[in-house]
Amino acid sequence: MPGPNVSAADPIPARAGIGLRFQHHQAVLDTVPDVAWMEVHTENYMGGGTPLRYLDAIRRNTPISLHGVGLSLGSAEGIDPAHLERIQKVAERVEPGLMSEHIAWNVVDGTYLADLLPLPMTEEALEVVCRHVDQTQSYLKRRILVENPSTYIAFGNSIIPEWEFMAAVAARTGCGILCDVNNICVSAHNHGWDALAYIAALPPEAVGEIHLAGHSVKTLADGTLLRIDDHGSRVSDEVWSLYRQAIARFGAVPTLIEWDNEVPPLEVLLDEAFHADHLIGKSPKDSAHADAA
Amino acid sequence: MPTLLKMQEAMQASLLHRDSQTVSAMLAGHVPADRLDIYRNTFILTLTKTLRLCFPVTQKLVGEEFFAGAAQIFVGERPPRAAWLDLYGDEFPEFLRSFPPATSIAYLGDVAELEWAVNSALHAADVAPLEVVELGAIEAEDQARICFVPHPSVRLLRLDYPADVIWRAILASDDDALGKVDLGRGPRNVMVERRLTGVEVECLDQQAWSFLAKLCDGSSIEAALVDISEFDYVAALAEHLALGRFASFSLVPPPMAIDPGKII
Repeated sequence: MPGPNVSAADPIPARAGIGLRFQHHQAVLDTVPDVAWMEVHTENYMGGGTPLRYLDAIRRNTPISLHGVGLSLGSAEGIDPAHLERIQKVAERVEPGLMSEHIAWNVVDGTYLADLLPLPMTEEALEVVCRHVDQTQSYLKRRILVENPSTYIAFGNSIIPEWEFMAAVAARTGCGILCDVNNICVSAHNHGWDALAYIAALPPEAVGEIHLAGHSVKTLADGTLLRIDDHGSRVSDEVWSLYRQAIARFGAVPTLIEWDNEVPPLEVLLDEAFHADHLIGKSPKDSAHADAA
Repeated sequence: MPTLLKMQEAMQASLLHRDSQTVSAMLAGHVPADRLDIYRNTFILTLTKTLRLCFPVTQKLVGEEFFAGAAQIFVGERPPRAAWLDLYGDEFPEFLRSFPPATSIAYLGDVAELEWAVNSALHAADVAPLEVVELGAIEAEDQARICFVPHPSVRLLRLDYPADVIWRAILASDDDALGKVDLGRGPRNVMVERRLTGVEVECLDQQAWSFLAKLCDGSSIEAALVDISEFDYVAALAEHLALGRFASFSLVPPPMAIDPGKII
């Protein structure tokens, strides 16, 4: 076995990466695909045994980003210190190039609700999220990125546009933004927002990563069409088009292809990543992100 | 204006108990119920999938539809207490034992308990096993006072039914073996552990199981041998150590010598 090619905490290059899922562990190890980096869900590597052994081997060749789904930055009752400690332990072992979480919540009354639930866009929620981002960054002793959500409902007391909420979290805590272009597309359709205006309102210097994924369309009982963020298909043309606008504004940024339901063969993910890399290659090269590549 | 906490409690009521009245009143404008249903469906389906992955043989015994129905009730009554879903499902065997529609399959709870142990062993923390050489410094007369800390992947179960035989037969799709299962053969003493090659399920005899169970509970070798006779514990210990069933050890203090001068 060759020695590690990837140094500890190697930065994530401003190129396309893929979400690494258990189904592809063996194929990735066997074929060492030509992809610049990979991202995993932190919660899937908190135990011992086989998953971590695969990840230990895979990260010898490929930088890894850790993407958490369970910290619940928006919980009114505070974040679970035990969960933060588990995240820290995974980070010590995996030495990720980037770490990210969500602008969402999923814990109340000590119960984990196993989804990324929407927050009201209020000053109270903004303060809660910022407090928890501060707490997380000081505990982990590193900057994290926070991802914009996809949502199906909005709250009556929301007074801050979501894009302003995202920018405010970054400005107040110094964290970065993980701009999920698919989520912007989904939420813009579901709430009647202008997706391009959303992208234009995000501070480019804060955007440290982009997510791309597929979504589906569901017809509700009253005939309304709702976009569902199910990560179960190829990236739509509409999202690719928004992505071109996003990198024109943000510069070349590490860009992840996510796929979580009905996960296809590895080649399909690599094909999507290849397409993203092609678009990154055509984006303006004068940004700070491109220099880091 | 509802506080963030009130909203989150209202959303929880909608997801767990289908009580959406409070959260609906907090939404912008009139929102059709099926938008909230998407969140509830994701909550139920995600956790049902978690349980399916953890209890595949249990699911085969009852069928997918029955399993989904039981899981839906379970996740509403006993949702996860942590965002680490490897920990979710420990109460499912007990839930099935007291779930009236499932009581006709008497051994279902035992099979689920075994699957939970297999799942726990699979995800147990990576801990370096205790090496035999580390015990080399212990004087022979002190050996009886050794206490072990078990490796986190070791699980010991006592099951009323031959759930391990049923589990193996179903995994292998071996109808022949399944047909020969004798449900009345008495309790089974089962050990589950993760080895380098994968998770192993083994049936031990009463003495071997009791000895290991006591050691795993923290008893000294001497204390673990009380009530066990005609048992080759030296061979048993050698196997436990060789297969990495312990993570560390300590010595219990020797019996206190009474020193009258120190009694106040």
